[in-house]
Amino acid sequence: MKTPEPETWRRTSPFAVLFFFGKVIKLITQNAWQSLAPLAAFAVAYKGDLVETATIAGIGAFVLIAAAAVLRYWFFRYQFNEDAILIRQGVIKKSQLDIKFDRIQGINTQQNIVFRYFGLVTVTFDTAGSSGEEGSLPAVSQEFANELREKLNRPPGRASTADDEGIPESTPMLQLGWREMVRIGLADRRVYVVLAALGPLYERIGENFYDLVGRHIEDIAMRGGVAGGILTIIALVILVMLLLTALSIGTAFLRYHKFQLYLDDRTLRSTGGLLTRHEVSMDLSKIQTLRLTQGVIFRCFRRFEMSARQARASHQNARGKNFVIPHVDADQASGLRRRFLGNEGRGLIQIPSSDKFRRISPWVTRTPLFINVLGPLLFSTVVYLLGRSPAVFLVCLWIPIAVTAIILSWRHAGYHYTDEGLVRRSGMIGYRTVALLYRKVQRVTVKQSPLQRRKGLATLRVYMASGSVRIPYIRHTTAKQLRDYMLYKVESSTRAWH
Amino acid sequence: MFENPEIPLDDLPDMEDIDWLPIEPRYIKRMLVERVLVVLGLFLAATIPYFITPQGFDSTVPLPVLVVPFAIPFLAWPFWSVPRRGYVVRDKDIVFKSGVLWRSVTAIPFNRIQHVETSHTPLDRRFDVAALQLFTAGGTGGDLNICGLATNVAERLRVYVLDKVGVSIENA
Repeated sequence: MKTPEPETWRRTSPFAVLFFFGKVIKLITQNAWQSLAPLAAFAVAYKGDLVETATIAGIGAFVLIAAAAVLRYWFFRYQFNEDAILIRQGVIKKSQLDIKFDRIQGINTQQNIVFRYFGLVTVTFDTAGSSGEEGSLPAVSQEFANELREKLNRPPGRASTADDEGIPESTPMLQLGWREMVRIGLADRRVYVVLAALGPLYERIGENFYDLVGRHIEDIAMRGGVAGGILTIIALVILVMLLLTALSIGTAFLRYHKFQLYLDDRTLRSTGGLLTRHEVSMDLSKIQTLRLTQGVIFRCFRRFEMSARQARASHQNARGKNFVIPHVDADQASGLRRRFLGNEGRGLIQIPSSDKFRRISPWVTRTPLFINVLGPLLFSTVVYLLGRSPAVFLVCLWIPIAVTAIILSWRHAGYHYTDEGLVRRSGMIGYRTVALLYRKVQRVTVKQSPLQRRKGLATLRVYMASGSVRIPYIRHTTAKQLRDYMLYKVESSTRAWH
Repeated sequence: MFENPEIPLDDLPDMEDIDWLPIEPRYIKRMLVERVLVVLGLFLAATIPYFITPQGFDSTVPLPVLVVPFAIPFLAWPFWSVPRRGYVVRDKDIVFKSGVLWRSVTAIPFNRIQHVETSHTPLDRRFDVAALQLFTAGGTGGDLNICGLATNVAERLRVYVLDKVGVSIENA
């Protein structure tokens, strides 16, 4: 498919029906799942042949969703002119979306198995300041997506601002293989978060757990004694952990298989994914903060996750778009940072172990220590004096855990700055460093609590378009100098921050 | 020719030397009226159990009395907080200070402001005061909210800031 002539309303490929089918299902699960609850009640109370009724209902729902998808496809048109993409959509409620090229921060593509077979992709536009509604062009040809990307990457009059050490498009800056996938999977904590989120269901699971597993453990214990029972429980725990780890690694393969990172002139682009191939891009000038994260597992492997964050939309709960590079070593991280931030980023060190980082004041630990030590002590003493069991003092077991966490957090916190930017380091067990350039700062606040005033300390908070970076308990004079210098850099800069 | 002279930190303008402009003193009265209404509401709410319990509500301390320890600092707070607020409009930015216990100084450069708003509630209008809200990119509300400005000052500031924002965009 060639880039369409300007001022012509076009339809995408009929395979876009698949995209709209998925979108309708997503819409139903997001907005109408509460309405499905009476259906479940009906299914429980229904006296007839439930399987037959459910099959008919399922076919009916499928037909309705398919019809909705076909209608949505039919009424979906787009137009491509000199400075914008116009999208007309909607069956009953019609809407037109005008996406100006200069508002587009990046173009992302997704390609599922069917689309891959036919050489089609779904293009999604990241726009600055959008309130959630973003444009998508489903089932357009790969060539069309490439042409669009090419057009948007070189808008007229855009000056190059960083090092022009261009890399040929065909040479990836970074490639990840299966070993990296395994490490990413091991380091991913989302599986455990999902487990924690399932917490309320444990009780329900527990009711059936005894029937399913408990009886077998009892049988084994009867035959092999207590040791046999304990061994079985340990084996079960290990099995669950292995399954979760395998699931996590599988997820890493699904999202990042054959991950490749390119820098096409000023545009960062990554491709990867097993079933659905994701292609994400971001203009280097859109980067607001650069993040390097190292959890416990990545600390063992001396690896990091790197992410570039761009401006977020101005509405509640909005999050900045992230361009994620899931696995880098220290050298790769330094090399990428130099490329991403150009000359301005020179001298900014993001590797957490660097001795360039300055510690923040230990007074930062005072209030959390006060709350976490005196709180449990007072609580357990008062409850004990009210006549409860001495077992209430078990609450105090929290104290050593909290004290360790607070001291570790203080030891890991730090900051360092150059003439052009600043890096903040934080973390408790792992590390996170965030780098920013002064000229992209939106506003800056210096705050002092009564304790900080007595000790000559202050908290500096730097607001970027992607969120804020807080440096607590540094010297008040340093905070004020940094604030004044940042204002000077912002106010004297003639370069765009986005 | 490209020049990049070194700027000594001591040469940068220091905010300690600037003359802060105070918030309108009548804003204290406006806050006081609002807070008196809140306290009256709480007193009324505290008396409800005595009316709805047929055999009389029994408590060791009368409930409306419990409102008093809260009401005194709540009503006195504007007398402390308003005089400690201040703002200053400089050539390149606007700076606002606030806070009694936790004191903060926020600065927004004009070339980062996305839009400006003035707003006033009915109570604000009664006392002829208004709030100036400045918005920057990535914020999730008014990033700087200067309440208690005289209405004409707020309006003049809005126009001035918009003018400055326009100039900074043209120069970018």
